[in-house]
Amino acid sequence: MVSRPLHVRSAALGAVLLLAAIAALAAEPSPAGASAAAPPAAPAAAQAATPAATPGATPGATPAADSAAVAGKAPTPAGAPSAPAAGGDATPAPESGSGEFKTLDQEVQGLKKDVIDLNKDLFVLEEELLFPANTQVAVYVSMDVGTFFALDSVTVKIDNKEVKNYLYTAREADALLKGGVQQIYLGNLKVGKHELVAFFTGKGPVERNYRRGATINFEKGVGAKYLELKITDKVPKHQPEFTIKDWE
Amino acid sequence: MHRLLLAAGLLACALPVAGVRAASPPPIVGKDAPDFVLKAIDGTNLRLSEFRGQVVLVNFWARWASDSRQEMPALNRINRTYERAGLVVLGISVDEDLRRAREFADAMKPTYPVMFDTGSQLGHDYQLEKMPMTILVDRSGVIRYAHVGFKRGDDRIFLDHIRQLLRE
Repeated sequence: MVSRPLHVRSAALGAVLLLAAIAALAAEPSPAGASAAAPPAAPAAAQAATPAATPGATPGATPAADSAAVAGKAPTPAGAPSAPAAGGDATPAPESGSGEFKTLDQEVQGLKKDVIDLNKDLFVLEEELLFPANTQVAVYVSMDVGTFFALDSVTVKIDNKEVKNYLYTAREADALLKGGVQQIYLGNLKVGKHELVAFFTGKGPVERNYRRGATINFEKGVGAKYLELKITDKVPKHQPEFTIKDWE
Repeated sequence: MHRLLLAAGLLACALPVAGVRAASPPPIVGKDAPDFVLKAIDGTNLRLSEFRGQVVLVNFWARWASDSRQEMPALNRINRTYERAGLVVLGISVDEDLRRAREFADAMKPTYPVMFDTGSQLGHDYQLEKMPMTILVDRSGVIRYAHVGFKRGDDRIFLDHIRQLLRE
């Protein structure tokens, strides 16, 4: 309701401007008149064009640059020996162009590597600062076979306080079945005795909704504590089994 | 002469567009879309980040928001048309009453996954103020467009943005 009058008003204004421009052209057809009419239109047109043009232009430019780089690189091995022999002025230009692309590409790759290295260092530093070894507790989830259980979610409680509730997508559950191990929780605990309870929900045998829990009492020492929530198949009973392993 | 006419014509066309864009976009636009994982109506869990590489339309709706009733059929049409082109439409109900939200969703027969969020974190992350709210996430996971409410013709605006993002 609000935007319609705005549209109408803007369209009317546009039509008036259009008429004014035509009238100005009819009155003074000289180039000066044309140049005088152009400036007001240019910023508006540019404004309207910028948001649409910018995102479209970037990807369009990139493949072009890439193809130019590829095109520049490709002829280099074949073209390089021929260039000195010919001794022409035209041949060295593409060579220097491809060289520039190469060095630029190398620089970009180097920068990317630096960023990745820095990110890795920052991650390690952050983890060391936020979760120092003397208080660190890490909980992992692993799954073996999974014939009798399709994992849906895991809830972790430490000392009766819920610290994590994780919903698994089909891809994530599949990754666990393929041998992946997921760090579900990383936190701090003071030295002493603690209790961890994990609840597993999903589909059990015969597609039934299944919810089971597993508990472990553990002692947190001065070093980091690693616990593993293991989901395995208990073949003789045709049931899944949920255990918690304490990695010293 | 032709150039001048063309410039004036462009100006006439550009002004209404500029008028529409004059309204400031929601502050979430241009930021990375906060990740979430929610349970869909069919029982599967869906995570937003798993759709990275595709254009995602996320529609937050509520049973009590009358605009949602108009918007869902429009989104159904958009989903049917652009699903093959790589568009993913996700509907998220923010209703607290899960049972009635399910009933509403069943009645609307959406062709896209509908999920239920009964917590408050997602609403906070996406700065939800009014319902319905529709956001468009580009292939790299950045929110490119956000729209609050729905009225007739808004689906055309969605389509313009969707086509642009699918071309990128």
